[in-house]
Amino acid sequence: MSDLISRVVYPSLVFFVLILLWQFGAERSLFPAYILPAPSTIALRVWSTAPIMFGHAIVTTLEIMCGFVLAIFLGVFLAWMLAYVRLFNQAFYPWLVFIQVLPKVALGPLLVVWIGVGFLPKALVSFLLAFFPVMIDTLAGLKSVQRDYVFLLRSMGASRLKRFLYFELPHALPYIFASLKVAITLAVVGAIVGEFIGADRGLGYVLIVATGTMDTVLIFVALVWISILSLLLYALVCLFDRFFVSWHAAARHDQIRDAA
Amino acid sequence: MRPDSQSPAVLNSHVALKDVAKAYGKGNKAISALEGVTLDISRGEFLSILGPSGCGKSTLLMMIAGLLVPSHGMIEVAQRPVTRPLTDVGIAFQQDLLFDWRTVLGNVMLQADMRDLDRNAARAKAQILLERVGLKGFENRRPWELSGGMRQRVAICRALLHDSSILLLDEPFGALDALTRDHMNLHLQNLWMLERPTAIMVTHSISEAVFLSDRVIVFSRRPGRVVYELPIELPRPRTVEMRDASEFVRFQHQLRQAIEVPQ
Repeated sequence: MSDLISRVVYPSLVFFVLILLWQFGAERSLFPAYILPAPSTIALRVWSTAPIMFGHAIVTTLEIMCGFVLAIFLGVFLAWMLAYVRLFNQAFYPWLVFIQVLPKVALGPLLVVWIGVGFLPKALVSFLLAFFPVMIDTLAGLKSVQRDYVFLLRSMGASRLKRFLYFELPHALPYIFASLKVAITLAVVGAIVGEFIGADRGLGYVLIVATGTMDTVLIFVALVWISILSLLLYALVCLFDRFFVSWHAAARHDQIRDAA
Repeated sequence: MRPDSQSPAVLNSHVALKDVAKAYGKGNKAISALEGVTLDISRGEFLSILGPSGCGKSTLLMMIAGLLVPSHGMIEVAQRPVTRPLTDVGIAFQQDLLFDWRTVLGNVMLQADMRDLDRNAARAKAQILLERVGLKGFENRRPWELSGGMRQRVAICRALLHDSSILLLDEPFGALDALTRDHMNLHLQNLWMLERPTAIMVTHSISEAVFLSDRVIVFSRRPGRVVYELPIELPRPRTVEMRDASEFVRFQHQLRQAIEVPQ
């Protein structure tokens, strides 16, 4: 019961108190509506624009998912190459780090010139932002393999592929999922910023349009949708995490209990 | 064919080490882990290697398995030089190396999955092995639900699943307390006597070495070399009571002296 209070009731209380203060301030005109419209106004607009906004949200979600999934596969694949192909590591690791050091959203305009303002450049910016943490964490996971495990599997005559599928990949899964929690939020940023650069649909496009017309309420509406979308995607990753690496949490919990 | 290859002793030889040495590092910084090890291990023999920490015992085991390459000398298994990792071998390491994402049965079955063995036959064998070491009913548990001793028993069952002719044991009970260890020795003898593979065990425990082995060899400090060899002529199966027998105690005494006073 006390657990429920601390985890649900307190945070909700903070939320409602802030909203109430905000509403109160707006009604007393403590700040102009074009800077900070009342929560009730925003809520009504969210409701009235829901069908249109839903369409934009779908577009942005698809861009995010596309970039995110690509980031997972390419991130894991590149990590595998870096961990096990020495020449690849020597030749490419510095360049992969260099790409990370670049502000990747700055590549957005170039992508627009190359492949237009459609779906693809947004997914690519999303991918560019998301893939690096996946690659680095997966690499850390693969490199944390102990020598004796490799000896054990080699003595069993396990092929390279089997060693990866049966041991190295599951061993790295907790690392991979930790990185995915970072990557999914970056993927959202990538898609929105991609839409800033040039788009005719999507939540980022709505933000740009709302800014152009000084429609502060619409900006808030878009922010509400982006927040909900981010939260849902993050929750989805956590759900997969629980499902695929439940053994890790359980084993870890056991170690902590033993240590206590 | 060489004339001496007809003699029974040579025919019976399963693992042969000829002047084996291993050094880590290169040039002046090279550290010699072991030197001049010559050994002949018969088929079906249980050999233990005793010695101080860092004397290259584990290195020797990994070289027999073909997982490390000797700097000098030659290792032969079944009259063939070892040039790559042996697969006709089961290994139990100091750590149990169980996979957290597999069940107890799944961990034993890893051996079958890696070797593409017939799954039904392997599963039946796995269940027999687990039952033998008192783990019946634990097949679907996860490794973290087990005690250290139980985990190591699972690891040994995994090493024995595929009926290999060589069993390599790298201090498998090193992390266990003395009472659990005595118990594990019984389990191991039990399992070993099923198929009697050639077993080579590295250990720090004199009593464990005497209890399990047909022969014990003692290594010196680094660089490790064989300084003492003692055949253990006790009937099998060995029992807990035998640990107190005067012969057993005498063997232990001889080994302890060999370790304390290296030649």
